[in-house]
Amino acid sequence: MRRQERQTGLGRIIIAVYGIFALAATARAGYQIATEFSEAPVAYLLSALAAVVYIVATVALASRRPGSWRLSLAAVGFEFLGVVVVGVLSFAVPHLFAHPAVWSHFGSGYGYVPLVLPLVGLWWLVRHRDPAEVRTAAT
Amino acid sequence: MLASGFFIAGAVVCAVSVIVAVVATFARDYPDDIAILGVAAVELFLIVYGVAAGIRQAGGDPVSGELWEFWGYLLTALLIPVLAFWWAVTDKTRWSNLVLAAVGATVFVMLFRMEQIWHGGVLA
Repeated sequence: MRRQERQTGLGRIIIAVYGIFALAATARAGYQIATEFSEAPVAYLLSALAAVVYIVATVALASRRPGSWRLSLAAVGFEFLGVVVVGVLSFAVPHLFAHPAVWSHFGSGYGYVPLVLPLVGLWWLVRHRDPAEVRTAAT
Repeated sequence: MLASGFFIAGAVVCAVSVIVAVVATFARDYPDDIAILGVAAVELFLIVYGVAAGIRQAGGDPVSGELWEFWGYLLTALLIPVLAFWWAVTDKTRWSNLVLAAVGATVFVMLFRMEQIWHGGVLA
């Protein structure tokens, strides 16, 4: 019962928001790398990394296969680290981030959703721990 | 000048739909019937708006922006209540009410954009 709950209700909304970000970040990073890559290569490569992380997180969150809970935790955790590190870097070395990217300035260009989303995701994953994976970890 | 009657009517329908669905998110642990009727009302409004826009634009009422952009917004907006209804049918939890609440908010923004494209501004 608990296993199914991870993908329903608020969990389903979280998966949908991750899906939208995966789509938006991929389209934006692809467009920026194709047209103006030389203007801010670091920012755009990090945008591409963000896109990949969002894709992995979306698939892992939606998946019911064994191991998907741990993969989602890793992806969402990495996402949170990424937002914080890139956010700090964009203020510390602004010349590397001359153009806005998904995670720069803590996701301010996306209404700070990139900063809040991983926190909601981590809270949700901790509340909906996969019992099978908790057993394997304990033994 | 005042906003068009269609814009005011659409804004009221969207607002009522959002309020009902947000209340339902707190009050119900399943998708509320009235919240579903709310997105149905939004869909009905969009159909009437689309038919009226088609008749008026065919009769010579000019679109100040891009024609394809107006109709692109309208066709996309028409899908949103349908998708949310499908969501509520397939996920019978409290949180489907929040998805239904997002419909009115999203459609309102799109209606605002459509009025801008059609008349060059909401108050024009």
